[in-house]
Amino acid sequence: MSDTSLKKILIVDDSKVSRMVIKAHILAVHADWIVLEATTGDEAVAMIDQDLPDYCTMDINMPGMLGTDAAEIILSKYPGVRIVIFSANIQEAAQSRAQQLGALFVAKPVTEKSIAQAIGYFTGATGISGSGSAGAA
Amino acid sequence: MKVLSEIELDALTEVFNVGAGRAALSLSEIVGEEVLLSVPSIEILKADEVNDRVLTLKDNKFATVSQLFTGPFDAEAVLLFTKNYALEIVRDMMGSQMSIEDLAEFEQEAMCELGNIILNACLSAMADMLKISLSSSLPSYTMSSPEEITARLAEQGRDDSYILVLHIDLVLEKHHTEGHLIFLLSSTSLSKLISHIQQYLNNIL
Repeated sequence: MSDTSLKKILIVDDSKVSRMVIKAHILAVHADWIVLEATTGDEAVAMIDQDLPDYCTMDINMPGMLGTDAAEIILSKYPGVRIVIFSANIQEAAQSRAQQLGALFVAKPVTEKSIAQAIGYFTGATGISGSGSAGAA
Repeated sequence: MKVLSEIELDALTEVFNVGAGRAALSLSEIVGEEVLLSVPSIEILKADEVNDRVLTLKDNKFATVSQLFTGPFDAEAVLLFTKNYALEIVRDMMGSQMSIEDLAEFEQEAMCELGNIILNACLSAMADMLKISLSSSLPSYTMSSPEEITARLAEQGRDDSYILVLHIDLVLEKHHTEGHLIFLLSSTSLSKLISHIQQYLNNIL
């Protein structure tokens, strides 16, 4: 397993603030990850062929293509990419679409807690990666 | 009048975006279908620049629920639906066995309650993010034309030079209808809101 290799994460969000917060929290836990950013779904889809990330956070409501559509395209080409749909649109329909795509849905706002959820999914070690160990009792 | 920096405008849009997401969840649970949300747009205008172009309202009559929110800053939140579809939403809310005619009787009350649920869902998400407390007035319901709506907005901004107009479209495909969510803040309230946005940014960055 390639735990020692550098991990690359693509943050897709039209909000600069959201990208900054996601990036800051991720680097706080994984300082060695390489962070790429895209401001739209279209940009993300165009980027992945050049620079394939291991992980991706994807907003839904952006100008142009919906984030869920971009995630679908990315996963159909590169099923190995782990995607977290990070959205303010918390309706059942949005959540089940994320699930159907094989992505994890995390509700905005972007907070330390919601990012910990995302990181847990990426590293496949929810509870081990820094935050709350499910120990005792 | 402080002008919003790019990052403040971004943060403000994101806060409204989360609020609109909560509002759409409430609405989707009421009507039983997915609500498509547009990307929010924010404009800061002089009161006399407010016209129906700004609101991009295409229909000629709207069911309008408005509510005043007060706290560290004051805002008027307005929810608009095209008239005929407003009644259909009320029908979904109250049970579909009622006829449209019977529903007219409940229109006023049901629309106020609908507005109350949706607008509070939105504002409470914003209050949580900004760590403030907002209280709301009772909702009021009127039928208005776009001209009447813009006239009211311009009127509101008379003693102030600026007004913030936030616009989000809520599309219900099954009902072939659109709702609009609009927030209005006077320049005094806008300045106070900006200082809360700055605190929010300081906390998260």
